Amino acid sequence: MESPFRTIAGRRLALLVWISAAWGLLIAARLVQLQVVQHEHYSQLARKQQEQLVEIPAPRGAILDRNGETMAISTAVDSVFVNPMLLRDPATSASILAEALSLDRDTLARDIADRARRKRGFMWIRRRISPEESKVLRSLRYGQPPLDWIGLQAESQRFYPKGQIAAHVLGSVDHAETGNGGIELGLESELQGIPGASRVLSDVHRAGIESSMAVEPRPGANVTLTIDERIQFIVERELRLAMETHRAQTGSVVVMNPHSGDILAMASYPTFDPNVRPHPGEDPGARLNNAFTAPFEPGSVFKVFTMATALDTTRLTPESILPCGRLVMGNRLVGEAKNFFGPMTATQVLEKSSNAGSAQAGLMVGAKKMDAYVRKFGFGYKTGIPLPGESPGLLRNVEQWNKYSAGYIAFGHEIATTTLQLARACSVVANGGLSVRPRLVLSRQRPGEDPVAERASAPERILKPETAIRTRLMMEGVVLRGTGRAAQLPGYSAGGKTGSAQIFDFKAKRYTHEYNSSFMGFAPVANPQIVVVVTLNGAREYGGAVAAPVFRGVAAEALRILEVPKDLPEQIPVTPQDDFEEGVILTEASDTDPSGLLAEVPTDPAQVYGPVVPDFRGKTARTVVEEAMSLGVPIVLNGKGIARTQAPPAGAILPLGEPVHVLFSR
Amino acid sequence: MAHYLSARDLDWALIIITVVICALGILQIYSATHDTKWDDAWWKQIAFVVIGLVLMAIIASIDYHSLMGQVPILYLAGLVLLLAVLLIGTKVFGSRRWIPVLGFTFQVSEFVKLMLILLAARFLTEMRSETLELADLLRLGGLFALPMVLVMRQPDLGTSLCYLPILASGVFLAGLRWKYVLAIALVAIVILWPGYYMLKDYQKARLASFLDPDLDPQGKGYQVIQSKIAVGAGGMWGQGVTRGTQTQLRFLPVAHTDFIFSAFAEEHGFVGVVAVLALYFMLLMQIVQNAQTAPDRAGMYICMGVGALLLFHLLVNVGMVVGRMPVTGIPLPLMSAGGSNTLSTFMMLGLVNNVRLRRFVN
Repeated sequence: MESPFRTIAGRRLALLVWISAAWGLLIAARLVQLQVVQHEHYSQLARKQQEQLVEIPAPRGAILDRNGETMAISTAVDSVFVNPMLLRDPATSASILAEALSLDRDTLARDIADRARRKRGFMWIRRRISPEESKVLRSLRYGQPPLDWIGLQAESQRFYPKGQIAAHVLGSVDHAETGNGGIELGLESELQGIPGASRVLSDVHRAGIESSMAVEPRPGANVTLTIDERIQFIVERELRLAMETHRAQTGSVVVMNPHSGDILAMASYPTFDPNVRPHPGEDPGARLNNAFTAPFEPGSVFKVFTMATALDTTRLTPESILPCGRLVMGNRLVGEAKNFFGPMTATQVLEKSSNAGSAQAGLMVGAKKMDAYVRKFGFGYKTGIPLPGESPGLLRNVEQWNKYSAGYIAFGHEIATTTLQLARACSVVANGGLSVRPRLVLSRQRPGEDPVAERASAPERILKPETAIRTRLMMEGVVLRGTGRAAQLPGYSAGGKTGSAQIFDFKAKRYTHEYNSSFMGFAPVANPQIVVVVTLNGAREYGGAVAAPVFRGVAAEALRILEVPKDLPEQIPVTPQDDFEEGVILTEASDTDPSGLLAEVPTDPAQVYGPVVPDFRGKTARTVVEEAMSLGVPIVLNGKGIARTQAPPAGAILPLGEPVHVLFSR
Repeated sequence: MAHYLSARDLDWALIIITVVICALGILQIYSATHDTKWDDAWWKQIAFVVIGLVLMAIIASIDYHSLMGQVPILYLAGLVLLLAVLLIGTKVFGSRRWIPVLGFTFQVSEFVKLMLILLAARFLTEMRSETLELADLLRLGGLFALPMVLVMRQPDLGTSLCYLPILASGVFLAGLRWKYVLAIALVAIVILWPGYYMLKDYQKARLASFLDPDLDPQGKGYQVIQSKIAVGAGGMWGQGVTRGTQTQLRFLPVAHTDFIFSAFAEEHGFVGVVAVLALYFMLLMQIVQNAQTAPDRAGMYICMGVGALLLFHLLVNVGMVVGRMPVTGIPLPLMSAGGSNTLSTFMMLGLVNNVRLRRFVN
């Protein structure tokens, strides 16, 4: 029963269906566009507004000494945060936090309100709080009722359990735990590890809903140093005593194993506490490691290398006679510290530290060979230890030398070296003539892996073995008979060389009365186990007087710590001393007489054995002075308060003419 | 003639499709509201669906011819109630749409739809001529204009626009000449242009933000941007029930009502969305089939009024969700949480069943 109306309506109905179906297809096409084609784009937009990636710092690797003692470690500390958007009662929260963390309540309340207004869902209240504050906040956080709006985030904080010990080697870290000096900077990439990330889903109100670990943090590698913390302690104690006694400006000591190149101790003065962040008002030089950043004219210690080179390359022997009279090189007269000497054997030249004799030996070697040997010893090059700021020293190209340069370099002028370079070069003499590369890192251990030992470089022969042995014996002569007698060790033979280079004042264009006083030595002579180089810059006395005692203090205890068998009787053989010293004076003869240097050295063989050193530790200054006076022991007092350390230690035989150094502190 | 009213004659395909869509809607409401202050919305919606089915049965059992006989009374009652809404209605978000009855609130404008469907059917059936003349159109238009103006006064532009497809489908099927169809389309454009200036500020903002949502990301355009992100992030397979981050982290506004399709798209992906659209398409085709098999012109107008209204809702809501239509605030029927819309939709489907039950009657 189809009416015409039904036909029209039917057609139009079909049309409507087709139109709506077409519209449905358009919507479907749009859905394909959104959900299939642009899916990635919209997913990213969603993630961008939903997810906050919070970096989780990786625990920094520890730094250990060669015996496994912890030198630097990262410990977990708490940092406090809140979500300003979710605080029900911001004012009360602010006062609770202000109370617990000793903050200003009003400022805190204002800051929180300000963040809340700007719709911030996260706010650090304070980072790296003390354990005590942590305890208080944790008791509030998990107490009854629990204050769960207090956010505590574990963060890591660098801690140097030994305080100042090896501060310059270790360096320090900044607020982000990134190394800013020393090994911390030098091995930053290995120590720092790889930070992880936590994905925090936050809702439209910026409230963190849940977090999941996106990337696990990978802890940094543990680094084992060649440093022996016990020797390092002795070195720093002795260096501090000498610095304070002699009022030198800066100083450094390097103790090295001459065979392996292991740096057993490296100290610099002035020093700092790595636990304390750099702050305004601290000595800007305190964080510089003087052992390798500040080259200086080495002076007489360099004569050792001149002699070794001459023995190796010329017909010179230790017994060869060198004319040691007045020597004029170019327009300058090479002077001696005291008098001019007559002709002497090469051994005596070293013992008495004759500049003229050494210069002649240098001239015998000649510029070409001198240059080659000096470079083979490592001068003019960085040693390559992984510490920032190492200086290669100063050594001109041989083409730029004049015809007397070999003569000047022979006694340590026209060249600048670092303490570390001297230790490296001295090791060549001590180990029988082989090159050695200073090593500071013994091994590194990545988390979950076996430790990887640092490879030692292949040794290369630099000196003939007999040259090395002869040079060692000549250096033993310096300690037995020459300028380095203050370096004699109880129970051990030792060889060494003193140096006292006048500091050239570049402003006044003249040499001053301040010296780079140094001592470079090894012990025992037959098979040296340690090389010790001491440099005191800006001292007013010669190396034999200020640096040699440091060598003695360091070497005696270091050999004991390393359990090196003694090769001499306990007693110190004291040989009569002449009142000469070394020193390099150019032209001005009046400058050559440092006064009263060894005036107190007794010559009476009856007084060879000194008094036994009493134990001053734990006593007040007044008691120490009274006791010392009654025993006739000379003492040097440093610091205030109670006697903490002394050198030499109690029970030792006090070398004649030497005071007992006593360090007081509260 | 004997009237055999048997439950077997109900449009069971239509009812099953409806219940399946409602079930998906309830699942999505649960997913979007758990752990929020609306976490009771899903079981409320279950209650509405059950009540809706009962109402559908009741409406289906009363012959639509007798319902059409009551149109003058229903029309007057509708106008009175709309006036009452304006006077004593509950104000939410700046507009009065609800009147409280027995502790519930009813959105009168939703139930006015039913009345207008019956009105259009009766008016067009009682016409003398074979084709609709302009005078008839104007008279019918006038009858529609009164409630539309009242609803716009609430203000509720979206719902008032929903009345238009009832009118449009009716007059179109009644044989309005093509020249008038085109003329009305032209006039609509001419009127809409200055009409824009009569809109409320927030309505203008909705339109403006539809034209360029990125202009005002924290305003109304924000909703469209978030909706598009949700739909796009859903991808092919979706992120899973209660796993849609846009929905769960509340970036998606009103995810259980107007933007429920967006939330569904995020959690069920393109596959889920196409399935739901297919269900809606099948639902509409059932309605169209009932229109074609209706025993008389009145039955066809009723079915097509319902179909046009649901299609309009579907197109505008989904168009809004995918950023192709302005944010007008109209729900997705059968899925969006909300009592009045759910009940009125079931009652409209009751009208369709009503017509179907009587298809063999004469």
